Amino acid sequence: MIKQLSVFVENRPGSLMDVTNALTEAHINIRAVASFDTPEFAILRLVVDKAEDAKSYLTSKGFVVRVHDVMGVELIDQKGNLNHMLKILADGEISINYIYSFVIRAEKAPVMVFSTDDYEQAEQILKGAGVKIIEDSEL
Amino acid sequence: MEWQERIRQPEIECMSRDEMIALQSERLVKQVANVYEHVAFYNRKMKELGVEPGDIRGIEDIHKLPFTTKEDLRDNYPFGLLAVPKSKVARVQGTSGTTGKLTLASYTKHDTEIWGECVARGLTMAGLTEEDIIHVCYGYGLFTGGLGLDFGARELGALAIPMSAGNTKRQMMCLEDFGATAMACTPSYALHLAEALEDAGLVDRLKLKAGIFGAEPWTVEMRMEIERKLKINAFDIYGLCEILGPGVAMECIHHSGLHIYEDHFLPEILDPATDKPAADGETGELIFTTLTKEAMPLIRYRTKDLTSMDRSTCACGRTLPRISKFKGRTDDMKVIRGVNVFPTQIETALLSIDEALPHYLLIVDRENNLDVLTVMVEVDERYFSDEIRKLDDLKKKIGNVIKQAIGVSVKVKLVEPKSIERSEGKAKRVIDNRKL
Repeated sequence: MIKQLSVFVENRPGSLMDVTNALTEAHINIRAVASFDTPEFAILRLVVDKAEDAKSYLTSKGFVVRVHDVMGVELIDQKGNLNHMLKILADGEISINYIYSFVIRAEKAPVMVFSTDDYEQAEQILKGAGVKIIEDSEL
Repeated sequence: MEWQERIRQPEIECMSRDEMIALQSERLVKQVANVYEHVAFYNRKMKELGVEPGDIRGIEDIHKLPFTTKEDLRDNYPFGLLAVPKSKVARVQGTSGTTGKLTLASYTKHDTEIWGECVARGLTMAGLTEEDIIHVCYGYGLFTGGLGLDFGARELGALAIPMSAGNTKRQMMCLEDFGATAMACTPSYALHLAEALEDAGLVDRLKLKAGIFGAEPWTVEMRMEIERKLKINAFDIYGLCEILGPGVAMECIHHSGLHIYEDHFLPEILDPATDKPAADGETGELIFTTLTKEAMPLIRYRTKDLTSMDRSTCACGRTLPRISKFKGRTDDMKVIRGVNVFPTQIETALLSIDEALPHYLLIVDRENNLDVLTVMVEVDERYFSDEIRKLDDLKKKIGNVIKQAIGVSVKVKLVEPKSIERSEGKAKRVIDNRKL
């Protein structure tokens, strides 16, 4: 499993930058980022190298932050591979709440991050299908 | 519009100053003796100040009497200030209190007749007679607007159409079908309705000639816009539930202030800093003593409305003094779509839910002529969720609890923590962007 930060941000110019700026100050490296917006606010989701440090620094700066577990799976960079992984989950009746991909991983295969309500089952299914699940330490 | 000035009770409305002072003094002396004897609250208050009924010989002695505040009404809620046995109470009306409870006002049958008479004077001031059909789209219920205008129409002998508020399409249909010659509602709703009528091309099919609008502050520009769109004369009517309801004061065709029916409601304008009388033309807090009220007479009630007074004879011929359009409040009350809203009501509501959200800011805007109240609430780690759905549920919950507390729907906006300004003393809780 991978630790993910969720940060509440308002919809206004600079609100995302306020978060990345704070992370830069705290020497945190961002691995993946996704934002989910509503008309008034957004939830910025981040995978970073030091999740707990990032949370405490952001909290000290007045942000509202939560840490959640998400699952990371390694894909092969070729056509149809994301579809293949999603089919495995669909066949196993795993519902995905949200999904996003990593920013960059030099020399390494792409990684997708997703959230679901049943990680145990998802892990079992993916492992059974030979999909590689990524842990924090491998990022 | 052609205009013929009508005065319903010239013997009162055009009375000389000396005669009015004599009438007020006589009524004040009686009322003071009445409350001293029948209302424990006033008996105690007067004793505390060392004042006896005999010390009040006329309105020049008014300054010796104690004040009454909205808090006193709350402390004596619901029937603690009655000067008559409860069986004599024929009606109650209510308005919002500063916290959870209503401010309740009681009326005897005679009080409601005086109320009708005052509103009838105002309808006459607007040029209406028993021939007229008055479309009342103020709310009917505890709110004084609907019934107040209804009582006035009855006293005048006119026909009132008790529409109550809302459902613009139906309002438009009835305005046309019943041939209303006048309408009464909040000015913002009047403008909203005017635009809908304009869009539907209905204005020229109506017989409207006058509008009586009140329960919220409005500007001269807004009046002129309503008049132009609906091709009517529009009049501002003022009142407050504690004193009467609509019909305490009303504007005449000259629009140079609102004439106070001072034979029933003795006005004072006091400098809020010193509580000393403000000179004519100077701004101060408006204070009323009800000279003829039976059920719940109030002595020197602090309205917290800021205005100034003009006692010169008006071009319409009336000698009744005129108060200017309101210049603000001494407290943070806001009028939203005709409903009095206190930030403390919203605070109480926000603290009542499990998440107990103490940091909020109210923004009042006017969109398409209707007031919109936005409540900004800071999110907090305790209830921040990664799921949009849960945050949406929280917004709905906040919206519901506030609507229950104030009776007006609000927009809820979640904002970042610490984004609402903190201040050392009294926090700034309301930003009013309306141009009133």
